[in-house]
Amino acid sequence: MAKEDATRLAQAIVEVKERTVLCSVCFNIGIAERCAICADDRRDGSILCVVEDPRDIVAVERTREFKGRYHVLGGALSPIEGVGPEQLRVRELLGRLEPEGVTEVILCTNPNLEGEATAMYLARLLKPLGVRTTRIASGLPVGGDLEYADELTLGRALEGRREVDA
Amino acid sequence: MQGELRPVSGGLTVVTGDNGAGKTSLLEAIGYCSSLKSFRGSPRESLVRSGSASAIVRLEAADGSRHTLVEIEITPPRRDQAMRNRQRVRRVQELLETVRVTVFTPDDLALVKGGPQERRDFLDEVVVSAHPRLSVARHTVERVLRQRNVLLRQAGGRAGPEVSTTLDVWDHQLAAAGTELAEARATLVAELAPLASSAFSRLTGTGAGVVLDYQRSFGDSLAEALASHRHEDLKRGVTTVGPHRDDLAITSDDLDARTRLSQGRQRCVTLALRLAAHGVVGSYAGAPPVLLLDDAFSELDDATAKALVSELPPGQAILTTAGPLPPGSSPDAVVRLRDGRILP
Repeated sequence: MAKEDATRLAQAIVEVKERTVLCSVCFNIGIAERCAICADDRRDGSILCVVEDPRDIVAVERTREFKGRYHVLGGALSPIEGVGPEQLRVRELLGRLEPEGVTEVILCTNPNLEGEATAMYLARLLKPLGVRTTRIASGLPVGGDLEYADELTLGRALEGRREVDA
Repeated sequence: MQGELRPVSGGLTVVTGDNGAGKTSLLEAIGYCSSLKSFRGSPRESLVRSGSASAIVRLEAADGSRHTLVEIEITPPRRDQAMRNRQRVRRVQELLETVRVTVFTPDDLALVKGGPQERRDFLDEVVVSAHPRLSVARHTVERVLRQRNVLLRQAGGRAGPEVSTTLDVWDHQLAAAGTELAEARATLVAELAPLASSAFSRLTGTGAGVVLDYQRSFGDSLAEALASHRHEDLKRGVTTVGPHRDDLAITSDDLDARTRLSQGRQRCVTLALRLAAHGVVGSYAGAPPVLLLDDAFSELDDATAKALVSELPPGQAILTTAGPLPPGSSPDAVVRLRDGRILP
């Protein structure tokens, strides 16, 4: 690597560190006190999509299907890694429900053991509050072949089968 | 270890040679093509001949007219390179579906003499071979237990509301996966029991069979058991009920196999268990796995050794022995090994 490239890379890293902040509302990464999504009036504030990590927002945004807002937990329950509810932004999530008029929370944590446990934990907190609480489905990749699906995914897809419209 | 083994398909191939000739390594190589693991638990470094950088195993599996070439390159500390028909293998499951093996080793004695963990692992391995889907439940149980036990210890004996709610969540997951696993094991034991019993009585030449009994550490509901043991779990910092506390009880003529049978008879029990598992996995897979019997005659008297050879299930079997074959046995092929080479 040329010296000037190294310098530019180093500056870029410093700049990221200096200029990015966590959104004070949803804890997404942004460059202002409120991130671009929270600042966008066209987003539907009544639906909240709860994710583990800011990178998950990028993934959901790529679908262009979701018009609501986000909440970043900052991880998933995992006692092994010392993560309990206090280490996640759960209180902040609960604090957003009433002021923002949230009617539905989509639990979009990872479909692994810790993500499922986190989703279940949140569902148990949210349901008694009368908020519609949903969980993203697990299933087969679209355009894929059944033959190449692993047993776990295929098993989940079978569990979540639905009536065919005819 | 060098050379090419051409075992008889659908018959018994006996591999002979002195101690250290490489008999077990040969079976280990075949087993490795199925699981990328050594059945004797050898670290990968020791699978490579000293002075060499890598080991290569090539195996051609024939199922009817379908031939599959499995090639594995072991170059520690790098990851194993596995190819199936020259295509990179991404999941070990793909190998397992190509090369199914049932392995019997002298270490299997631990199934009878060892602790309950040995028997649970045996059941789980057979459950997963017969029903690959259940590897999820097995993995989940292990992982939830680790999480739950850490949480119990972090709680320091007291359960505040926060700990209680999170415990509820882990318990829910453990109850679901644990019940699924325990039920699968119990079903398997019911399938194994008649096969193991008849194999045992044929091997021993007596009327006595073996009785297998899956003993659950909890009653009908794991969820209820977890709830009622929570206080104790918090106090002790471990999960005291669940599939990880279950056991497989083995008796013959009401005698506990672990403490009351002779070592020779205990060998017969382990052989009977393996042969039964071989039958069950074969019936689910549609074809019997390849039966690998390492040093199977050790500690068996002539009559039992002879019974083993004559009672081998249909299908391909490869058996190693350092000593002579039992009188009157007629394997389909005999291969001799010397100093890690297959003699012509």
